[in-house]
This record gives sequence, structure tokens and C-alpha cells, in this order.
Amino acid sequence: MRRWSRRLRHLAGGVLDLPQDVVLEVLRITMIGHLQMYIENHRGVLHFSEKELRLLLTNGQLIVSGEQLVIRAILPEEVLLEGRIGSVKFLEKP
Amino acid sequence: MRYGLKEWTEGYVTITVRGKRFERFLNMAVREGLRIWNIRRVGTEACRCDILIKDYFRLRPLMRETGCRSHVEQREGFPFWLARLRRRSGLAIGAFLFLVGLYMLSSFIWTVEVQGTKQLSPERVMQVAEQIGIKEGAWKVKLKEPLHLQRELTSLLPEVTWVGVTIQGTKVTLQVVEKDEPAKPIVTGPRHLVAKKRAVIQTILPEAGRSQVTVNQFVEKGQVLISGIIGNDERQKAVSAKGTIRGEVWYISNASVPLKQSHTRLTGEKQDQQYLVIGPYAVQVWPFEKLPFSQYESKEKRFMPGYAGYTSPVGWKRVTHEEIVQTQKELTVEEAKALAIRFAREDILRKAGKDASIQQEKVLHATSENGKVYVSIHFSVIEDIGVEQPIVGVPQTPEVNSNS
Repeated sequence: MRRWSRRLRHLAGGVLDLPQDVVLEVLRITMIGHLQMYIENHRGVLHFSEKELRLLLTNGQLIVSGEQLVIRAILPEEVLLEGRIGSVKFLEKP
Repeated sequence: MRYGLKEWTEGYVTITVRGKRFERFLNMAVREGLRIWNIRRVGTEACRCDILIKDYFRLRPLMRETGCRSHVEQREGFPFWLARLRRRSGLAIGAFLFLVGLYMLSSFIWTVEVQGTKQLSPERVMQVAEQIGIKEGAWKVKLKEPLHLQRELTSLLPEVTWVGVTIQGTKVTLQVVEKDEPAKPIVTGPRHLVAKKRAVIQTILPEAGRSQVTVNQFVEKGQVLISGIIGNDERQKAVSAKGTIRGEVWYISNASVPLKQSHTRLTGEKQDQQYLVIGPYAVQVWPFEKLPFSQYESKEKRFMPGYAGYTSPVGWKRVTHEEIVQTQKELTVEEAKALAIRFAREDILRKAGKDASIQQEKVLHATSENGKVYVSIHFSVIEDIGVEQPIVGVPQTPEVNSNS
């Protein structure tokens, strides 16, 4: 069932030329230099400190590390992060 | 995503949340729809964040569930600002009164200005404007529409074609356009025209009154030429006599002219000298050398900067020296005579008044004595001999009758 739905989504994305983040439940990140980061389609905050923000995704995790991180705003599916961002890392669910 | 103005108007607090499960608390709060922003970690088990006042009271069940504690650090926004203002009510009342005062004062007229008057005095326009309420200190609300005021002012001022009324803030400008009335004729009282000099009448043209003399008649000084009394013996009226009487007057003029004439003449050599003027002193600045003129005329030009009636004590002066020389000229007797006749003619015309003309001139005798030429000339001049003499002792006729 799950496989069917996934294949249907892929197909729709290909045929209708829709952006991937709309059809697939994946992250969409907008970065302004290394100062600001706008993350959509997350599933919750796992860990937050000055050095690291760990977000839960549909399949896996996103680790943003940097310095002086501040969450400027947060909504159920969006996060606006500011600070000096060093690296962004995806962890695939095994 | 952020609405700064909304946050400020609704009011928000900065809180510190202590607890091990802060992330869980955050996720729950976000899912509940609470508005949280500016989240930063301040310690291993403490985070600081901003939250709306109304959301702050919904945090309680979440706190209990996650075992966190909150502490309010700062209060910001309009509701807190109001509360602070209530504590300093004097300031608030003062600010309010200031605004009210400003509004009230701006609803009065503080200046009235009149523009465009030429003959009419601005004070008169102001006086009339005051009658219909335009004056300093008048309440603007009580004034009528500018268009209405304009019409009223124009009808109250007969000397004026149009008055424009513009109210700009607290200032009223009255733009006046005056009528161009024709010059009124000068009203004169009843009078005669009498002879100014002994003369023989050349022409007489009475316009008003009755002529008393005829052409070629000899008149004495003071004789009535055009009488101002008209009518017969029973019905008489005094009018202002008017007319032109030209008569022939005889003059004898004596003139003398020396044969040796001396003239002064500019040579064209000149020199400018510049001075710095300080108060009553003038210091020569340029040039240092004076040109050796034996005789000269000097002209002075001063420049003193000034503003609004005040002149500065420091200024500049320029003196121009122009060299002159004296020249001697010997005239022949004939030349001297002609010159003397010319002088005499000018002198006579000056005596006879304007629009006089010389009809005849005759040299009575001319002698040359002691280096001078003496000439005696007889002129007969045609000139205006009429002069006004008011009639006294006769009841004055009304102005309307005398004009008609």
C-alpha cells in the first residue's frame, strides 16, 4: 500500500512537473548566506542548543550545527533559524 | 511569519524555562498553536523565549506535563506600556492637554495679511474685514466659507473690484484688486480770471464764464478778463471761470558779456583712488602715488553694505580724480553780442513762463566798453496772462451746478 502511494506520487511529480517538496514529504530549506535558515516540512524539534539544532523528519533527521543559534520563529511545520551556521547534515532512517 | 506590530500591541513577555525536556515542551506548545519566538539556550537546562501574554496562561498544563518551570524576565508591549503610563498619569494628562491646546490654538486666526493695495490703505481693508469677523483672534469655526466672505468683503468695499480670501492654517490672506478709477477733475470754487501783467490781448478763449475783454485790447495788471459771474442783474450765479487768454507782453532786457571768456575743460586724464572706510575714517588703500594734476574734479562713490535699515560701519570708497584745464578765449564784438542776445532770450522765456513764444525782438542799443559788450533788447512775447482770482462775498453754488 505504502509503496503504491509512493510510486503514485513520483509519477504525479514527473507528469505534472510539480516541485518535489510538494509531492514528496521532504524538507525545503532556504538559506541566506550562513546567517539565516528557513526550514519547512519538519516534524518537530529533537534537540536545540547554541551549537546544534536537531529536527525530526518523515524519514530521518536534520542536524544543523553552528554557533549562537537562535530560533527566531517556530510553527508546526516551519522553523526560522538564525546564527552562524556551520554545516547541515541529513541522517537517513535505517 | 513574524508580526512585530501585533506582538507589540497584544503585549509579550520574555520567559526563562528550566527543565530537562525543553524540546518536548516546545513541540507541544507549537502544536497547540502558541506563538513562541526568539528561542535561545542560556544554560544546559534553561532556555529563554518570547511569548504572547494570552499564550502565557495556556502554558501551565504543558509545564506540568513536561516538568518545566517558567520565570518571567521582561514585559514588553502596549498593555505593559499602558500600565506604566498609569503610574505616571501626570505625564499622560500633560501630553493630552498639550494636544488639545495645540488643536484649540490652531482653530483661531492669528494673522491677517492684506496684499495688492495701491491707493487703498491696508488698515481700511482690515477694518472692513473686522466687520464681517475676519480679525486676529477670531474663531475659525465661526467664519463663513471663504467664497461667501469674499463676496461680502467685495460688496462692503466699493473701491475694490475683487477681494480674495484664503485661510491657510492660522493666517488669512486678503488679496485685493483695486478698481482703476478715472482721475477726478479738480473741483474749484467760483473765480475770475484776471490779467497777470500789462498786455495786449492776442487771443481769448473762454470755456466757462463771460469774457470781459476783446482781442487787441490793452489790459492792466489785475483787470478781469473772464468773469466768473454769469446771468443778468436779477439772476446771478458765480462759476469757476475757465479759459485761455494769451496776450502780448513787452519786456526790456539788459545783458552784458565779457570779451575774454575762460572755460574749464576735462583733459581725459583720470585716476581712481580706493579707500577703506571704517566709521568716520577713510584709509587710502590704492594707489600709493598721486598723479600730479594741477587742477582736478573729483567724484566719490561709496559702497556700504547694509541690511534692513542698518548699514555696516565698514565699507569701500572710490574717488575718481579727473584733470581739468582752464582755457581762455577772446571773442569778437559780434560774437559777444550774439551771445548776449541768446542769454537775454533765455532769461525772458524763463520769466514769461511755459508755452511762451517770442514774437519780436529788437536790439535797442549795443556798446562795447571795458572789454565787455552791453546789450539792451526789447522783446514782445506772446504768453498766457490769465491768473485765477477767487470770488468772495458771493454765496457758493453747489458743486453739481458749477460742473453741469
